[in-house]
Amino acid sequence: MPDTTQRQESGDVARLLSYVALLAVSAGLFLEARTIPTSRFEVLGAGAFPILVHGTLIALLLGAIVGSVRKLPTQAYGRFFSNIGQWALSRRLVFVVFGCLAVYLFTMPVIGYPIATFAFLAVLQITFAPKTRKAVAISLVLSVIFSFGLNWLFAEVFNVFLPRGR
Amino acid sequence: MDDFLIGAAQVLAPTTLIMMFFGSFAGIIAAAIPGFTVTMAIVLTLPLTFTMEPLQGISLMLSVYVGGYTGGLISAALLGIPGTPSSVATTFDAFPMARKGEPGRALSLGVWASFFGTVISTIVLIFAAPPLAIFAVKLGPWEYFALIVFALTIVASLVGHSLQRGLIAAMIGLAISTVGTDPMMGRPRFDMGFEMLAAGLPFLVVLIGIFAISQLASEVEDINAIKTGEKLVTGDVEFKTWAVMREVLMRPVNLVRSSLIGVAIGALPGAGGSIANLVAYDQAKRASDTPEAFGTGTPDGIVASEAGNSATAGGGLIPLIALGIPGSAVDAILMASLMVHGISVGPRLIMDNGDLVYGMFIAMAVSSLMMLLICIVSMRAFLRVAEVPKWVVVPIVLVCCVVGSFALNNRVSDLYLLGFIGLFGYALKSLDYPLAPLVLGVILGPIAETNLRRALMTDSDWSLFFTRPVSLMFLIAAVLSVAWAVRGILKSRNDQKISKDPVS
Repeated sequence: MPDTTQRQESGDVARLLSYVALLAVSAGLFLEARTIPTSRFEVLGAGAFPILVHGTLIALLLGAIVGSVRKLPTQAYGRFFSNIGQWALSRRLVFVVFGCLAVYLFTMPVIGYPIATFAFLAVLQITFAPKTRKAVAISLVLSVIFSFGLNWLFAEVFNVFLPRGR
Repeated sequence: MDDFLIGAAQVLAPTTLIMMFFGSFAGIIAAAIPGFTVTMAIVLTLPLTFTMEPLQGISLMLSVYVGGYTGGLISAALLGIPGTPSSVATTFDAFPMARKGEPGRALSLGVWASFFGTVISTIVLIFAAPPLAIFAVKLGPWEYFALIVFALTIVASLVGHSLQRGLIAAMIGLAISTVGTDPMMGRPRFDMGFEMLAAGLPFLVVLIGIFAISQLASEVEDINAIKTGEKLVTGDVEFKTWAVMREVLMRPVNLVRSSLIGVAIGALPGAGGSIANLVAYDQAKRASDTPEAFGTGTPDGIVASEAGNSATAGGGLIPLIALGIPGSAVDAILMASLMVHGISVGPRLIMDNGDLVYGMFIAMAVSSLMMLLICIVSMRAFLRVAEVPKWVVVPIVLVCCVVGSFALNNRVSDLYLLGFIGLFGYALKSLDYPLAPLVLGVILGPIAETNLRRALMTDSDWSLFFTRPVSLMFLIAAVLSVAWAVRGILKSRNDQKISKDPVS
């Protein structure tokens, strides 16, 4: 039971940090919106709607920060930082997904859709799949179909050309 | 009557029916893939219609249209990812129902609700096209802004565990919609000097990133489950066609209300399925005796969302047929296909080309039947997706999302945006922010801003928002909607207090 409470507290600290980060971004955009010049043709300028949105967001975030700070015990902050490593370890596959996705998206314009997709699918599926020959074979076949096969389908049938690489 | 019979003869010709069958099938498949919208499917179909007779071409496109509105529910129910923007609300209940072991029932409910939604919208289209179209066109920016204010109050139904985080998410969505060129004067805003932000954040890329990437990343959180080859959805994969049809028909009020909401929103230029499914879901939740069951896999939620989005197909044709004004991008493409054949679309369409208009009505009805037939016959095959292990589905759907995002504008920078937004969406999801209000904010932001500024540009008097009857009606509805939501929150707090402390 205390474990659940501690986990909940760590979640609340993470949310508090997210409120602070969002507040910083929103305050910056609010100030930038104020510098957008108004047009002579209309009552409201291009900056009016963003000012309204960010003003409301800032008020909501300040309320959320005050509420969280009042609710959280002081020890929760220390526990949060010691729990981060454990949390990241339990979600290591999520980090693998985002890491592979980042490499895939940034290399696609350079090496082209078919090769980038084949590598992405093969690496990710083989990482996730049970370690059997059958699973590896299925992964490779599917990688070919959804990389080279899909590229052919789009180019020949739909006349949509996926990135070809430099 | 002659026009009706000529139209019927053309639509019911074997060649047209075969074309419509393939069109419907293609629409379902395209919309089932996250990132591919009904609009994209119709655009790809347009060149094929150039060599056809006008009614044959338009029937093919209508079959893609109707099929597409249903296809979105497949990935919504089985993957928790809306296949199209119009099936966002379907994920709220269809996905939990599928996860609870009833994927067949979830899909079947959606298919039947879509079918009845399309049929109801076709009936309304036939009888009410001219008066509804005239009403819709008379609405000015004041009424549109008031409508959007009312639509924003839907957030109260979508907040999940925390009203505060729900409101923050909605405001983040509105803030995202302000990035890029200003919709009125074209002035650049918040692009930070990055070229990829200059054009704004494309709505579809945001939708895929927020819903699809974050959901797919969540699927791999449990390392043991994925390594042992766990399936996406476990349980009964039976479609239960007739039992579910009765289940849908047992909810006549929800079905008719959601369909009428879909028709009305579809008839408004600029609005469409992406708003209709959320409004219909919200109204069904408010009218329900058990609103707390919504979001946990209740059939009412699926019926409302699917009937609502499918009914916009008929609704969108109302201003197109009666006045020659397309209500959405898809209707604009339909209009273009008629113009390619030299048919001028406008108020005289029904007088000059009566056979074509009656043919379109019949094509709508036939398309919905075709969609139903294809779904009943092939849904078992679609349900096999649920039996594929996660280690296969997750990477492949990720690739589909990437291809869908790229094919939208053929822009590589959209791919980078997809990655960033996906990571942001996953962070928000992990921190227990509800994602639906954020997407609602992104959808409604530009419409709200454009109409607010247009209204004040036309007349700087703010009081017009309260003195124009339809605008006032929407604003009163918004106030009532907020009051209802606050009452619900206070009531649930009181109930929690009583259950925690039964002695007092």
